This record gives sequence, structure tokens and C-alpha cells, in this order.
Amino acid sequence: MSSIDATLTPERSGAPARAAEEAASFRLEYRRFGAFHRWMHFLTMVSFTVLVFTGMPLRYKTTGWAQLSMDLIGGVQTAAILHRMAALVTVFYFACEVLFIVLYVVQRRGPLWGPGTITPGRKDWQDMRAMFRWFLGRGPHPRFDRFTYWEKFDFWSLAAGTVIIGGTGFMMWYPVQTAKILPGFVLNWALVIHSSEALLAVGVIFLFVHFFSAHLKPGSFPMDKVIFDGSLPVDDYARERPIEYERRVQEGTLGRVLIERRRGFATKAAMVLWYAITIIALIGALGFGVFLVWVALSWIGVL
Amino acid sequence: MRGRRLIALAVAVALAGLLAWVLPPPAAFAQVNRDNARCLRCHADQTGTVVANREEKSLRVTSATFNSSVHSLLDCTSCHPGFTASDHSADQTQGWWREATLHSCGNCHAGQFSMYSGSFHGKLVMDEQSTSAPTCGACHGSHAIINVDSPAFRPSILPMCEQCHGSRSQSYLDTYHGKAFILGNESTAVCTDCHGTHRILPRSDPASTISNEHIVATCAACHPGANRSFTTYQVHLDPSRPGKSFTAFTSWLIYTGYALLIGLVFAFGGVHSVLYFYRGWKEGAYRRVEH
Repeated sequence: MSSIDATLTPERSGAPARAAEEAASFRLEYRRFGAFHRWMHFLTMVSFTVLVFTGMPLRYKTTGWAQLSMDLIGGVQTAAILHRMAALVTVFYFACEVLFIVLYVVQRRGPLWGPGTITPGRKDWQDMRAMFRWFLGRGPHPRFDRFTYWEKFDFWSLAAGTVIIGGTGFMMWYPVQTAKILPGFVLNWALVIHSSEALLAVGVIFLFVHFFSAHLKPGSFPMDKVIFDGSLPVDDYARERPIEYERRVQEGTLGRVLIERRRGFATKAAMVLWYAITIIALIGALGFGVFLVWVALSWIGVL
Repeated sequence: MRGRRLIALAVAVALAGLLAWVLPPPAAFAQVNRDNARCLRCHADQTGTVVANREEKSLRVTSATFNSSVHSLLDCTSCHPGFTASDHSADQTQGWWREATLHSCGNCHAGQFSMYSGSFHGKLVMDEQSTSAPTCGACHGSHAIINVDSPAFRPSILPMCEQCHGSRSQSYLDTYHGKAFILGNESTAVCTDCHGTHRILPRSDPASTISNEHIVATCAACHPGANRSFTTYQVHLDPSRPGKSFTAFTSWLIYTGYALLIGLVFAFGGVHSVLYFYRGWKEGAYRRVEH
């Protein structure tokens, strides 16, 4: 930390007493996510959670836990309204994200593929194989760029899932209008697709990809706060994403992503929110884990 | 002239009111308490059963049960004709069943009885002597009949039809109406909303609510603007089984394809997560607490 501070902000290293005092309340951090992406994530998080808890009981309608969930929500009619409200939030953030990508492309803000982009490439395949070797102690940990392969999977699977679930969801919301354009039996397909894709999304988000990488993986436990904070200590970033860090140092663009972070009362207050989110995530992941055990036991006929 | 007519009218109304107050109520109502009390005196404590319609039925009828019924002002003998307090043998009880459950109801509910007589269920019972097809009481009950518009009746429709139409009930639960209904949304369509009540007919009968001639109107009752295409939606479809129809088979294909994809993704994600956690644990990544 101190070595990076010294090289990046030489003017500061010359004022010993004041610098030490300032360092207590200010810290130079690496800005990973801007306000836009943090808001997008927040809207996704809230709407996705509401959609899952108001929708999943319908797939397992005859179980006791489905009935209990509906009772807790306040009845199936309330759940239906909440589900549609969250769907509208989803439409909003998805439209914002599409607009962002369109502007990114039109205004040529950066490369569309290659190093540092979220587009999957050859390196992701190599990284994944290297990770499996590292898991088994047969090789070094791969050096990641701005986005890891699981983050790319997370992003694109959510994007595709939103189109699929959203499209079929609106078909079922407006069945009469849908039948005027498409044959009515498409509504049968819509329900099967909506429900199955939802289960897939819940597994990816609630456990296997997103919650694992944000809360459980080495370095993230108990919670990776960067999507809420926007920034993290430069040392940590340089260790986690060395390729991007080194590229910025080489290109001389590191200064663009360094911000002075004030760590005051607001940060401490936000900790309460972070841990609340962590607890909700934990409940979701645990609930999903129990659910998987239940499905497995049902299949082999124990239950 | 005008004043006299008004006075005459007022006198007539007053006289009618006086007569209604002085004269005894209609015979059927007047005898209710006395006669029913005699029946209930024994039947409130009855623990025995009687076999009717090949079913064992309890002989116990309490006044609390009967008073909750919409028929609480009727005589017991209105529905059990020919029974007397001193004589209702087992033979009489057996023979009574078919007669009572159809014609006793029809005596007052002629319209419903006529519709039922022409229905699929009615023909089974009356023409083919079926003993398993439902008569009035199968859906409405007997001693505790409630108003079909009361909130308690609607949730009972599905379990009622399910007794004979189990597989249709299951496939109904696998589509949108059924999911919402079983979780407590009683405003959504249940069996009788599409199939009708007293005059249920097979789809092949043009007069049926779900025949080609009527299906659009039946759907449009809840979905204004529904067209012919809308009616090709299958309200009974279990996607986990490969059905014979195009819609059922393709739905099963989608369902099975997704099941495989879900299994694959979860298995890979599970292995990846467990290995990642294992390596992190070995490297001591969970021991120190960072910032």
C-alpha cells in the first residue's frame, strides 16, 4: 500500500505528519465500478430476489414450503403484483444496460473484445483449465484480467436469462395479445421455459456462480463489497487482477481509476447494509442448498 | 276518485298483513321443529353406518350440522320421503338412496335437475345405472349443504372433481390456473368455470362449453378478446411426461432439455465451487480477515 502510494502520489509522501493524519481518513483506492454499474447491480439484486421468492413457489405449488412462502408474502395475489412490479424494474435496468452498451459501441469508448473486455475469449478457456490445475495443486494460479471467466459467465447468462424469462413472462402477462400474434400453444412452452430457466438462474446466482464468487471464494469471504463500494485498496486489486493493473501501469492510465476514498461514518453505516445483504444472501444460498437436497431425496424416493 | 283508490289499496295491504300474521305458516315450515327434533334426537348420537351407493355412510346427524345447511328449514322427510319415526328399515334405506338423491332434489330444483338429466354425469346415472357417477349430493353434500356462492364452496370444487378425475386434476395443477388456484387464488379458473356445473358435456358434443363451437366464448368469459388461437393453449398439461399431442410432446422436449442443462450447469458449478473452496482452505485463505 505505502509503496504504491509513494510512486503514484509523490506530492503526498513529502508531508509526513499531515499525510499520516490524512491516511487515517483518506485512502487512495482503485475504482472498479462507477455509479452506473453499482446502481444497475443494486436494481438487479433487489428485483431478482423479489422475483425468485414470489415465483419459485409456483413451480413447487403442492409443497408445504410453497404454501408457507405465499402466506409469508401475504397471499398469491400479492405475490403476483410484486412479481410484476419486480419485472418492470428488470425491464428498466435491462433497457439501461442495453443503452449503455449501444453508447459504448457508438461512441467507441473502448474495445469490444480482447484484453480487459467482458467478451469471452481464448484466455478464459485457458484460465479455467489453469484454475482446475491449481485446484488440484498441479500448477500456479492464473493471472486474471479485469473480468474472470466466471464473471463473464455470470454476466452473459444473466443477460440471456433476462431476455428468455422476460420474454416468456410478458407472454403470460398478456396471453390474449400473445395469441393474436402467435399460436396459443406457445403459452404452454412459455410456462415451461419461464419456470425451467428461472430454476437455472437461481442455481447460478444463489449458489454456484454468483454467491460463491461474491461471498465464499478465497479472498471474498465473507463478502466482496466492491460492487457496493465501487473501489478497493490498490494492493488488493493488483493482486486479484494483475493483468489489468499492469496494463494500466504500462499505458499510464492508472491515474484514471484511482480515487481518494474517505472512510468515515457513512462507510461504517454502510457496513450494516452490507452485512444485511450478506445475511439475506446466506439465507438464499442455504435455502437453495436445502432445496437441492430435497429435490435429490425426492428423486431417489426417500421423501 | 284517486283518494278512494289509495284508501282501498291501503286497506287491502293492511288486511293481507293481518291475515299473514294471524294464519299459521305453510305446512312444511310449521312442522320443521317438531318432526326434525324427533329424528335428531336419535341421530345426534348414532355411531352406526349404513351402506348407500356402495359407500359406508354415517348415521350421525347433529342439529348443529343440519342447522348450518341452507336446507335447515326443510323437513327431514322432504329428502327422505316415506320415512317415519317408527319405521325406516334397512331395506327402505337402501332403496331410498337413488330416488332421494335425484328426485327429492328435483322436486324443488327442477331447472338444475333438468340440466343434470341431459349431462354426461346425469346420463351415466339415469340411463346407464352407474353407481359411481356423481348425483347431486356428490358435489353439494347432504346434511350440510352450503350456498355455492359462499366463500367456503369454491375451494372445495377441485377436491370434488379430483375424486374421479385425478389425472386431469394433476395436469391442471401443472399449468397456470392450477398453480394459482392451489396456492390460494380462488379468482382463477377452476374445473367448473370451463366445464360448467349441472350440464357438463364431453368436448365432442357441440353443446359443451369446451366444444369447438363454444370454447372461444368460454375462454373469453375471463379473457376478453380471446380468439381461436388462444384456445389452442392446453390447460391440462404435465410437461414432465411425453404426451401424444404436438403441444404436450414439444413441452416435454423443452422440459427435458432444460432438466439436462440444469443438471449439467449445477454439477459443473458444484464441482468448481467445492474444488475452489478446498484449495482456498489449504492455502489458508479463510484464516485471515482482510480490511
